[in-house]
Amino acid sequence: MKGIKTPWMNTHRRKQEAALGFLFASPWLVGFLVFGLYPMVMSFYFSLCRYDVLRIPQFVGFANYHTLLARDPYFWTAVENTLYYAFVRTPLCITGSLWLAVLINQATRGARAYRTVFFLPSIISGVVVSVLWLWLLNPQYGLINSALQMIGITGPLWLQSPEWSKPSLVLMSLWSIGGGRMIVFLAALQTVPHHLYEVVDLDGGGAWQKFRHVTLPIISPVLFLWIVLEVIFSLQVFTESYVMTKGGPLNSTLFYNLYLYYKAFDDFDMGYASALAWLLLLFSVVVTAVQFRVGKRWVYYETDSRP
Amino acid sequence: MKHRRRQWRQLGVYAILTAFGALFLIPFVWVLSTSLKGNEQIFTIPPQWIPSRLRWENYMEVFRRMPVLLYLKNSVVVTVLQMIGIVASSSLVAYAFAILRWPGRNILFGVLLATMMLPMQVTMIPVFVLFKQLGWLDTFKPLVVPAFLGGGAFNIFLLRQFFLGIPADIADAARIDGCSEFRIYWNIMLPLAAPALATVAIMTFMFSWNDFLGPLIYLSEKNKSTLALGLSMFVGQQTNEWALLMAASILMMIPMVAVFFFFQKYIIQGFTMSGIKG
Amino acid sequence: MNKLLTRIAIGVAGAAVILLLAFDAGGRRQPDDGRIHIRYWTIIGMKEIIPYFAQSFGNVQNRVVVETTPIPWQEHEKKILTSIVSGNPPDVVNQITPVAKWASRLALVPLDDYIRRDHFDSTMFFRSLWDEMRYRGRIYGVPVYSGSYALFYNRALFREAGLDPDRPPQTWDEVFALNERFVKRDARGQMLRMGFIPTYGNIQMFMLMAWQQGATFLSDDGTQIHVADSSVARALQWVQRFYAEYDQRDVAAFLGGLGFADQHGFIAGKIAMMILDSSFPDQIRAYKPTLDYGVAMVPTFPGHPTASVSGSWWLGIPRGAKHPEEAWQFIKHAVTKESQLLEIEKTEESLFPANRFAAEDPRFMNTPAREVFVRMMEYSHSPSIVPLVHDVFWREIVGAQERVIHKLQSPDAALRQAENQIQAMLDEARDYDLYVHTHAEER
Repeated sequence: MKGIKTPWMNTHRRKQEAALGFLFASPWLVGFLVFGLYPMVMSFYFSLCRYDVLRIPQFVGFANYHTLLARDPYFWTAVENTLYYAFVRTPLCITGSLWLAVLINQATRGARAYRTVFFLPSIISGVVVSVLWLWLLNPQYGLINSALQMIGITGPLWLQSPEWSKPSLVLMSLWSIGGGRMIVFLAALQTVPHHLYEVVDLDGGGAWQKFRHVTLPIISPVLFLWIVLEVIFSLQVFTESYVMTKGGPLNSTLFYNLYLYYKAFDDFDMGYASALAWLLLLFSVVVTAVQFRVGKRWVYYETDSRP
Repeated sequence: MKHRRRQWRQLGVYAILTAFGALFLIPFVWVLSTSLKGNEQIFTIPPQWIPSRLRWENYMEVFRRMPVLLYLKNSVVVTVLQMIGIVASSSLVAYAFAILRWPGRNILFGVLLATMMLPMQVTMIPVFVLFKQLGWLDTFKPLVVPAFLGGGAFNIFLLRQFFLGIPADIADAARIDGCSEFRIYWNIMLPLAAPALATVAIMTFMFSWNDFLGPLIYLSEKNKSTLALGLSMFVGQQTNEWALLMAASILMMIPMVAVFFFFQKYIIQGFTMSGIKG
Repeated sequence: MNKLLTRIAIGVAGAAVILLLAFDAGGRRQPDDGRIHIRYWTIIGMKEIIPYFAQSFGNVQNRVVVETTPIPWQEHEKKILTSIVSGNPPDVVNQITPVAKWASRLALVPLDDYIRRDHFDSTMFFRSLWDEMRYRGRIYGVPVYSGSYALFYNRALFREAGLDPDRPPQTWDEVFALNERFVKRDARGQMLRMGFIPTYGNIQMFMLMAWQQGATFLSDDGTQIHVADSSVARALQWVQRFYAEYDQRDVAAFLGGLGFADQHGFIAGKIAMMILDSSFPDQIRAYKPTLDYGVAMVPTFPGHPTASVSGSWWLGIPRGAKHPEEAWQFIKHAVTKESQLLEIEKTEESLFPANRFAAEDPRFMNTPAREVFVRMMEYSHSPSIVPLVHDVFWREIVGAQERVIHKLQSPDAALRQAENQIQAMLDEARDYDLYVHTHAEER
């Protein structure tokens, strides 16, 4: 579609479109300027200070950043833990949700029931989920180890073992593969026109061909979206480690955001926490930019000149 | 031959779905059964799946401990307002980012994404101070107004991707016919994106219903509390009352399941109005 | 027609939203009854209960009315923090140790003037509890409830092992030696029962040992951290000895099988000796009243005094409270001997009074166990050891123990690492403190 001059590409129309663009985007623009920009700027300022929220900030330049990168033993631990979690969990969860969505899509009967059953775990509140999994993963009488016992395997100490604590949390997150993510994928799968499947059929292709050459490209915008988002959000993992392990054992589940929380609200060291936050933002920006770069090669958009 | 193979495959699909479904249900069943137990029976070895006596009075106790109906009303008000605001404003903004072209769009889209990358722990206090200066403390406004102002980067991003997936021909044709942009948005794009909108509605509901921190710091009056805040009262410094916690959670889940049930048919509605098929 | 209806619906919805938000006002007005209403935020312990002393305050006077709001334990710091930031905090707030966390940040109103004016007798409190309320020479809170620790031992198990059930161990060496008598394993070598595990429980036992050995952790002038002292190292060596004898993974697996209520290690008879707090007899009574147990002073090292640790639930007046005078009257009422005894009698929670006269009164001290607890209070230390960097201190201490247990470091190395980290944080905190004091008005 690029390069084809359509009647509406003249200057007047372009100006009108620009004005409309601002108009349509105005709710977010207003909201951002008021509730987004100011707090972000403030938090950056605080990252250059020592500040405990209740008293005046003390400007210290980049001292916080220097301490973080050069002298803080926990920073690198937190980074390692978080990277592990984010990059192990994301592919697993996305693949899981996609696979489930595809399966449910093929179930002509009882789809509604299946959708609900898989969706249920994701609406249980965070505290209950944590209690639940603490019980499930209990080394002695938890369901998982008991089940393993029945087939003769002695299960690991799960959350109480420094080696198994992160895999435990990854396992726990798999329970969410039926949640909002799956619903979004389901919705995306609906947008695939059926006649394209018929084309593959006629060419003699099977399920895998259909998936690879029809489904995947059509849903790639949504898939891409979710990979980007999932990475961003899993870099901010917090609740599970806060409620269940408190960062242990041996700091194996000390995630970046948990460390940030300790610094902000236990130690009241909001300046340091802000520095942590901005480093995370920087890293997320880089990772996301890379993904957008790579995305140009495999994401397929219908509309012209996007993204 | 092919028909037979397809039949086997279908069977396989159902088998896997049912097996996994059962697996997913097990912990949920445990939550349900725990809600009907006395506290001593919860952590027994081996675990009891069906309590010897179903203690329905746990649920009565929940109603006794907190004004469920009042909190329910507050939760509904906040959540419905948020849903309306988010669906309306995020679709508008997503349309701007996906379809319309305007200067600075791509940069601002990057900024939009960046807002999701800063953990809210460090922006929480400045935002709180802002709301205080606006005089909105102790009202629902801090929870509801931001929903109407774009509704969150996540939702905008989601809808933008959906809009991008819709073939351009339709909108182009409408434009050539002289349709205003708003008409295109309202009459064409929104219906086409119905699955996405329903998804946003569901996810907004999920988040809002369970949101505890917002109500905690912005609402001080007890009669403005939401259900999520009420639920957090069951978790004391030393929580012993797991059964009540589970019962309260189950109660909170019921509306969510209902909402999900209602909205999910829109997701599957599909493209009845599009000109894509053929 | 459909279109019109849709438009009307949207119009109505929009109007409703706007009206709702416009009339949703915040803030509260003082009820016009000639009395002063103060707001009291109480963090719920076990249940959402209004403390009796909040209700009884209306019985002893009628000028002030207390409006109590329970707030959840989860994220309570955030709620209190934001309320102080908002400039409209409650008049009285209850919090858990340490006081200095808030006092050092000018978040509380100093109480010295009130104390002096009203001749408030602070000797009614156990000494360590009152000392914690002091920061930089001023008092910022009043302790209400605390807890004391003692040695619980299973007399039935003692008898079974051929030991005298009326002679509990008095030194740590004795405790350690007894482990061999009690340890029991199953056919696969997994632990079924133990004597004493120094890392099971909700306090850090090696810290008790360190105190017994005379550790002070912080120099008198508050500038130097002494965590790597020999007194602390010796305590940690004891833990190291335990884990040299018993494999950490075995112990962890064993501990994993213990739970709450009747699954608690001591209640279930799986652990013969434990250091537990003063609320525990109630737990035993609730879940296994037939348990034959004894309570004794915490074992120590020969020639050294014993030690316990006591934080407290305290009441304070947040900075910016509208009615500090009335708040103070309320606080005074909450900690009288009568209020404390009444509270304990009326509540289901297990409370240990901060008022020693209440604690020593026969209405409270009516069991041998409670006598031990009250006696242990004389040897009690506050966990608020390094007020300016309290959480950092405890994280480092616990981390050091963990590294020793997992055989990653020797006690000396682990403690030295902890000391360096705490010292660095303390130096920064003091630097910031100094900055604030020189750039802001002293309150």
